[in-house]
Amino acid sequence: MSLLEVKNLKKSFDGLEVLKDISLTVEQGEVLAIIGPSGSGKSTLLRCCTNLETAEAGEIHYDGEFGLVFQNFNLFPHFSVLKNITDAPLRVQKRKKDEVFTEARELLRKMGLSDKADAYPYQLSGGQQQRVSIARALAMNPQVLFFDEPTSALDPELTGEILKVIKDLAAEHMTMVIVTHEMNFAKNVADHIIFMDKGVIAEQGTPEQVFGSENERMREFLGRLSN
Amino acid sequence: MDILSIVTQLGSGMLVSIEIFVCTLVFSLPLGLVISFARMSKIKPLQWLAKVYISVMRGTPLMLQLMVVYFGPYYLFGVRISTAYRMIAVMIGFAINYAAYFAEIYRGGIESMPVGQYEAAKLLGYSRVQTFFHIIFPQVVKRILPSVTNEVITLVKDTSLAFVLAVAEMFTIAKQMAASQTTMVPFVAAAVFYYVFNLIVAVGMEKLESKLNYYR
Amino acid sequence: MKKRLAALLVLALSVTTIMAGCGSKNQSSEGSTAASTGSTVTNEEKKEGDTFTVGFDAEYPPFGYKNDSGEYVGFDLDLAQEVCDRNGWELVKQPVDWDSKDMELESGTIDCIWNGFTMTGREDQYTWSEPYLDNSQIFLVSAESDIKTFEDLAGKVVYVQADSAALSALNDNEELKSSFGELTEIGDYNSAVMNLEAGAADAVAIDSAIATGYTKDGKVVALEKAISQEQYAIGFKLGNEKLRDQVQKTIDEMAADGTVLEIANKYAEDGIPDALLIGK
Repeated sequence: MSLLEVKNLKKSFDGLEVLKDISLTVEQGEVLAIIGPSGSGKSTLLRCCTNLETAEAGEIHYDGEFGLVFQNFNLFPHFSVLKNITDAPLRVQKRKKDEVFTEARELLRKMGLSDKADAYPYQLSGGQQQRVSIARALAMNPQVLFFDEPTSALDPELTGEILKVIKDLAAEHMTMVIVTHEMNFAKNVADHIIFMDKGVIAEQGTPEQVFGSENERMREFLGRLSN
Repeated sequence: MDILSIVTQLGSGMLVSIEIFVCTLVFSLPLGLVISFARMSKIKPLQWLAKVYISVMRGTPLMLQLMVVYFGPYYLFGVRISTAYRMIAVMIGFAINYAAYFAEIYRGGIESMPVGQYEAAKLLGYSRVQTFFHIIFPQVVKRILPSVTNEVITLVKDTSLAFVLAVAEMFTIAKQMAASQTTMVPFVAAAVFYYVFNLIVAVGMEKLESKLNYYR
Repeated sequence: MKKRLAALLVLALSVTTIMAGCGSKNQSSEGSTAASTGSTVTNEEKKEGDTFTVGFDAEYPPFGYKNDSGEYVGFDLDLAQEVCDRNGWELVKQPVDWDSKDMELESGTIDCIWNGFTMTGREDQYTWSEPYLDNSQIFLVSAESDIKTFEDLAGKVVYVQADSAALSALNDNEELKSSFGELTEIGDYNSAVMNLEAGAADAVAIDSAIATGYTKDGKVVALEKAISQEQYAIGFKLGNEKLRDQVQKTIDEMAADGTVLEIANKYAEDGIPDALLIGK
């Protein structure tokens, strides 16, 4: 059974169709990358999948919880790093304190942020903030983790540390859906790639299939990126 | 009349002023929040009512509002009011007036919050109430504190308006002493009292502001 | 929430309208009080142990004011205390804002206005006791001023307390009033005299009994000629004759046994004994 199943999703803003009949599935342990030019509807698709937008038609089925890592982190500025990570598991999931804190410290260690537990978000670099926000999402033990262009608010020299974290998660068989414009990263880490253009899935398949595709729009998109 | 007796009497008036001040804040701060919710409500009639309420409260003199609250029950409904209602009327009048100002301050603060904070909270499963009181409101408080300080300092001085209902607060007493002694000294003393009162309030608010400066 | 807000709004708007009406009546200083809008007519005797609430302007020495130790005292309050003692009532001295005195009386927060309250010109607006004190309306001017007669007041700035006996006396003397450069109504006499001392006012029209307090230190002096002669009495809510009769009976007894004069003598410095109409 698929962890996530999207069927015939439609969404429009002010009469403009942004998503035209999108269907996709994500299997356990799969990494799905969604690429495409800006305005292609890839972010809207992600927001519909995570209930931040309501689709007009279609169905979305989950098997389990999901988390989302935002483009601009959206950490809670008045909470310390540790509280950002532990608050929802304690307050929302009502889990045991010891367990939550042990897990949070383990997550911080994995993110290389053990010494930042008591810092506040404003004291961290963008890359560090994004790692905290990944830890925050992971602390909820989601079945699927969504990423909305996780590196595009970062300086180029900081994107590497985030991509490495995602790669490590992939190695642990975390199921992930990543909207990105880092083509090399998508090629390396994804099991499956969806290329979106003008609200439809124009091409999809393994990285080799998609990047070797003869699809006109795909070629045009890749051509523009390499220039 | 010696200075000591002026100070003693003004001191007793100051206690009444402080009582008005504290009660006004205790009631108007939460009430203002409720009104700001109504003002931002998606239900149009509720939004409209809050708008009119705020407009009337801010658009008419507080002195007149105090008289309406005090004499209103009798002149509108024929309910005999007692003199014990005097102080209660002052509290109600101040609370509903200041609530209107606080409502607009809250609204400004709440509307300035980035939508990402709500979205992050929603994804983490916080309820709407948890999101507001745990995530949004603490940040709003920090943002609106300078405007609230302004209102609070104005309130210290506005307590003197209670004289229209002849409540024996500091200014009423200063006026009465000045009348019986035909001297300006009580007014000067009252000015010093108000200034010191406000100085304490300002220092307190500054402390609170720096306490909230642990994050940005 | 919605309903409550609506009720509040209606209350605010309608009372504003009503009070605007009252205000204009007060300023014309004639016509009825706002009694017509009230629904209850009070007319009841007080029993032993009841409270008797006297409304007074606490900025009106020697009738009602704050003494050095901060208590409300004065000739009228002393009389009221004696009346209460004899009837076994508990006296409540309630200072009121003079501009709101009618509303206070109408709404029942006070039982009477007893505070150098001029009956002349207001006969139909309250249920009155017998007058007990003579009072005249006079002008105060600065000691250095060259204003000596009414004629000298032509073109000058005159201050008077709003809704006061002095104002109604001036309203009855249109010729004198129209000779002023300006007639300013102000909330209380103390402010009026402060304006006089500071030079903003050239003269203050005031009750002679009040004026005595201000002329003590010689900075301001009274013009010799009075604007009018008037009488002080106790004002009850229109129709409250039973309570008036109770108080009047006690006052008569106090006049007969010399208590009134005894109390008046405490205020000899303010000229009270000379002005007494009863118990001399």
